[in-house]
Amino acid sequence: MADYAASAPPRPRRHPRADTARAVSFVRRLDWVMLAAVAALVGFGLWAIDGITRQDVAGDPDYYVTRQAMFALMGTVGLVGALFVDPSVYRRYRKAVYGLLLGMLLIVMVVGTEVRGSTRWIDLGFFQFQPSEFGKLLLALFLAGLLAERGKRVTESRTTLVAIGAAALPTLFVFFQPDIGTALVYGAILVAALFFAGTRWRDLAVMATVGAVLAAFVLWAGPAMGVEILEPYQRDRLTAFTDPSKNPRGAAYNINQSITAVGSGGLDGRGVTGATQTRLDYLPEHETDFVFAALSEQRGFVGASILLCLYLLLIWRGIRVIATARNPFAATVAGAIVFGLLFQTFVNIGMTIGIAPITGIPLPFVSVGGSAMVTNLLAVGVLQAIAIRRR
Amino acid sequence: MATVTRIPPRTRFMPRDPRVEEPYRMTPALALRLGVLGAIVLFVFAVLFFRLWALQVLAGDQYLAAAQDNQLRTVRVEAARGPILDYRGRLLVSNRIGTAAQVWTAYMPRRGRQRMLRRLSAILMVPVPELQKRLREHEGDPLTPVTLKEDLTQEEIFYLKENRRDFPGLELNDIHLRDYRYGSLAPQVLGHVGDVTEKQLNGGRYRHGDTVGQAGLEFSYDRFLRGTAGLAELRVDSLGRPRSKPLRSEQPQPGLALRTTLDAKLQRAAEDALVYGIEVARENDHWAADAGAAIAIDPRTGAIRAIATNPTYDPRVYVGKPDPRELRPLLDPKAAEEENFPGLNRATAGLYPPGSTFKPVTALAAMREHLVGPYEPLPCTGKMEIHGTTFNNWNPYVNEAMALATALAASCDTYFYQLGLDFYGLPPEYGSPLQKWASAFGFGKATGLDLGGEATGLLPTPEWRRKTYTKERYPDTWEVDRLWKSGDSVQLAIGQKDLLVTPLQMARFYALVANGGKLVTPHLVSSVEQPGTNGAVKAVFSPAPKDVNVDPAELNVIKDGLYRATHATYGTSAGVFGSFPVPIAGKTGTAEKSVDADGDGYAEMVDQSWWCGFGPTDKTPELVVCVVIENGGHGSTAAAPAALKIFERHFGREAPVVETGVETD
Repeated sequence: MADYAASAPPRPRRHPRADTARAVSFVRRLDWVMLAAVAALVGFGLWAIDGITRQDVAGDPDYYVTRQAMFALMGTVGLVGALFVDPSVYRRYRKAVYGLLLGMLLIVMVVGTEVRGSTRWIDLGFFQFQPSEFGKLLLALFLAGLLAERGKRVTESRTTLVAIGAAALPTLFVFFQPDIGTALVYGAILVAALFFAGTRWRDLAVMATVGAVLAAFVLWAGPAMGVEILEPYQRDRLTAFTDPSKNPRGAAYNINQSITAVGSGGLDGRGVTGATQTRLDYLPEHETDFVFAALSEQRGFVGASILLCLYLLLIWRGIRVIATARNPFAATVAGAIVFGLLFQTFVNIGMTIGIAPITGIPLPFVSVGGSAMVTNLLAVGVLQAIAIRRR
Repeated sequence: MATVTRIPPRTRFMPRDPRVEEPYRMTPALALRLGVLGAIVLFVFAVLFFRLWALQVLAGDQYLAAAQDNQLRTVRVEAARGPILDYRGRLLVSNRIGTAAQVWTAYMPRRGRQRMLRRLSAILMVPVPELQKRLREHEGDPLTPVTLKEDLTQEEIFYLKENRRDFPGLELNDIHLRDYRYGSLAPQVLGHVGDVTEKQLNGGRYRHGDTVGQAGLEFSYDRFLRGTAGLAELRVDSLGRPRSKPLRSEQPQPGLALRTTLDAKLQRAAEDALVYGIEVARENDHWAADAGAAIAIDPRTGAIRAIATNPTYDPRVYVGKPDPRELRPLLDPKAAEEENFPGLNRATAGLYPPGSTFKPVTALAAMREHLVGPYEPLPCTGKMEIHGTTFNNWNPYVNEAMALATALAASCDTYFYQLGLDFYGLPPEYGSPLQKWASAFGFGKATGLDLGGEATGLLPTPEWRRKTYTKERYPDTWEVDRLWKSGDSVQLAIGQKDLLVTPLQMARFYALVANGGKLVTPHLVSSVEQPGTNGAVKAVFSPAPKDVNVDPAELNVIKDGLYRATHATYGTSAGVFGSFPVPIAGKTGTAEKSVDADGDGYAEMVDQSWWCGFGPTDKTPELVVCVVIENGGHGSTAAAPAALKIFERHFGREAPVVETGVETD
């Protein structure tokens, strides 16, 4: 099972007790602290969702929490499954991974269900599958494979450009769904993959500069010159957090309600019934994008801090996985996954407390959403698979 | 000496297995990058923690207040309107609880809203466009339920309650409705309430949805009656849909009670008297008699005891969301004309030539100007020729000399023609003394009644003629008509031609005669009180009478004349009042007014029947009554018997013998 060889030579005969020993070692090499952190996050998230969504479906207060628990279960099965897959497999089949990623996004484009002007979901009957969520993991695996394959040439700018080009395609698909949030996450995964694969600092600096100029152009300079890349409402949402008092009923409505919700939670929260921002629907999207605000309102600074600590624990253990990864590919995969989680966590929470732009990024392990839950647990499974096969 | 044991490094016997990949070791470069990531993680989490701390712990209270502010909406609670009482505290207008059908628009279904409205329309008998109009008026205000109909019947309430599920957003709420215990009593005086109008809203004192006095006392004393609305807090969600019952935070202050000077029983008697007077007129072939006004005031204070007008209406047509068809005679000018203007208060806004009831004015003015002595006889003849025009006396057979009192009692026209001529003959520097005195007695201007809506009447003067009859307006006749001629003075002396007065002005003048020369201000409201406490008075209204410079001796001659008019054999209304146990003095009037009484499209001169007087004359007079019956013929025919009815009610006595239909002036 645990296969330490990259290429698969004929296996030597094993001692009869070797299987048992290997299984013991397999279990012992799991990162139990990280698993505990994830389990706590999922459990805490389910408990929070239970309180937050009591009012949302008339006649069935447990609707969301039941579904979410079901997805958590599915994700756990995926997590365990991922443990048994040597990450090298992903490297070997990276083209298939890339093909799957692009294929799913294309299918969405054709048969996707449009919800509130955005085509992101494939209706599978019992739930709405969101390929772009799953794509986050696929993109990390593919980019790591691509960069690892370049070996020493990873430091060449050409390699960087190839990676950017390869990542740009799915990112643009997602961008035009439109789903700016997920597109940004794809960008973050790309940056993380390059960063941990060993791209030179100079190239990274150039990328950062180009990125900053591009963002400035899209958000401020472009509209000022009459060139609109984003829809004005998208631009407003992205920039509203810089001045929430400017348009309190429009673009900044969500931010203001969200900040009010978070602030009103105080130290120990207002409880489920007392949390009026959530209960009376002042807080929009309180089970998905603004779930952190709802949680903060109901559980206060104490609850929010517990959640933050769990994320910190998860990411700290993730960094350990990067450090002890067996090979550059594994390290790159782990780096992309960990940074992806960090990025989503920060942008989501930051958006609810007014220090990050409003983008539709879910809070990992907490926001209601099957695709994200399953994907994140799968990603943890991949991290664990790397940890098991560490040095 | 310590023994140092060196552990030898493991040595390899065999070369490395080439199939085993060289284990990957962390390079310094990766370590650096991991350090960078660690720093980013620390920074990010530090920022998140501090921001959360700032929001939740440092500024938590502030955001808590903001969150609470978010969901509490303040709504107004209408105060119960104050009652209107008569002088003894009888409830003329009070409140009753009615049931209103109201809908919260936010709870109405988006789909099927039309169907729901159609069903409601059929049940409530309110047309769909009307319902839609009301919903539209409240667009953008989800916090106030829209009233579809007030004052539901029991059947409607039962049906709506049983089928509640079919009407999401519908509520049945108790509301205050105006209650008129005396039915159709004095609607033109009491007035009515209604939804605030666009114009009133612009004044700034009212708000949308307010119920405001729209006419009569309800209108003129609205500021006392309406009370102060209370406040209630309502929990709402982000769409403004209420999630709780309103919680009172500020109790509404009910409106104050209005104590009027009216006597409900006398008022009823006055209204009945008008019906009776019109009936009597018709029995005596004055078939065009179709309207009238009566007013009874206390000559000592000017307090109005009764103020009646005919035709009238039932004020209950205004209660609830009124039926437009029932309101047409009150609002639509054309329909109002067909019904002979039931909404018009003829006692205060009806304009009539006063006829002979004006003679005491002429007499007083003539004595004041020394044109005639109180006991100086003047000829009373069947007719009189003045500057080539013959003026007839109403009684063509008389031919004797009369002193003032007799002339008043017999209502001798020629006597007063002479006075008019004397006024006309005064040198120009005297001005127009008759008009000057009439004006001092309150004619030609508003009396200041607290009801509002008064007509001022017309007191013609030479100047008025000059200004009115201009070349532009009367291109054919202006050259003649602009001049004040002797005929104008002569006619004015007997209250004819251009002179127009209201019954109220007339009653005020007779009050002056009765009280010895004081001009009172007629008023309807004596005080404003806290309701229910029986006497916690907030404000008292007792306008002081104004002294008019008349000689009591001269006034006594007038009183004598008026007494003889009701008691002497030659008195014009002696047949009516002669046998009434309480001594009453008063004057008839038969005023010619240009009316199209037969409906042929051409106006003809029709007699307006007047009677004005007071009693008791043996004590301090306590009641002045003025009655006019439109097209009712002679004063003694219709108006005097009607006035008698009012006195009978007031004094609780009945006249044993009453002659009606007597054809005297």
